[in-house]
Amino acid sequence: VRWAWLAVCVLSGTGGDLMSAKGMAAHGELECFSPRRMAQVLRYIVTHPLIVAGIASDAVSFLSLIALLSVVDVSFAIPATAVSYILKTALARWYLGECISWRRWAGAACVAVGVYLISK
Amino acid sequence: MTDAVGRKKLRNRIFITLIVISNTLGNLSLGRGMKTMPGFRPDMLPTYIVEFATNPWIAAGIALLIVWMVAQLSMFTFADLTYVLPMTAGAYVLTAVLSRFFLGEQISPERWAGIALISVGVMLVSESPPVEPRRGVSP
Repeated sequence: VRWAWLAVCVLSGTGGDLMSAKGMAAHGELECFSPRRMAQVLRYIVTHPLIVAGIASDAVSFLSLIALLSVVDVSFAIPATAVSYILKTALARWYLGECISWRRWAGAACVAVGVYLISK
Repeated sequence: MTDAVGRKKLRNRIFITLIVISNTLGNLSLGRGMKTMPGFRPDMLPTYIVEFATNPWIAAGIALLIVWMVAQLSMFTFADLTYVLPMTAGAYVLTAVLSRFFLGEQISPERWAGIALISVGVMLVSESPPVEPRRGVSP
């Protein structure tokens, strides 16, 4: 059961971030941050189907993390989710077309191992 | 360095700082609020909801996490996902350090190693441009 919850948590979190990032990238570069402009951005966020789906997917990830915590210790749950950094990096290349330099790969790997150690 | 490049660097730094601080303080505030909540009992649901909605720590935590979410989404408009995620993992480091100094929690050698590794990861990614040129697309 715990591996199933972990898979749901990691996959929905990864999918959520990928969809949100794709939806926001379609918006175009934000350069002005006036209250009026930010209100427009908020409206864009809550009406863009990909971003709404991304946020919903992140919510599923959060709820499945809580479900996971009800069956395992925090010291298993949080370190195990560190693998999502590697998964997001790999999928960002395919889904978002990001060109991932060796620095990005090495950084993501260091962060994943670091998160594993810090929350163990 | 031209003004435009300088402005973009400043924008990156402001957003990374905002994302890290709002995420860390939001989680700490929500955690503190939840500790002062009564234990959950289904028959006391209305009282629980009122307590939850009127707890200032929980309200501040939720407000900070909304700021975090909007800031992170906004950053996706001018930076790659594989740049934003590792850069903002500094939140883990800040949470550990704040827990050490404000809550008096002990940090084990393993956790110090984790803090060091995340910092190395952040430094490596910070050396790459926020948007790497796409394959087949001239920059």
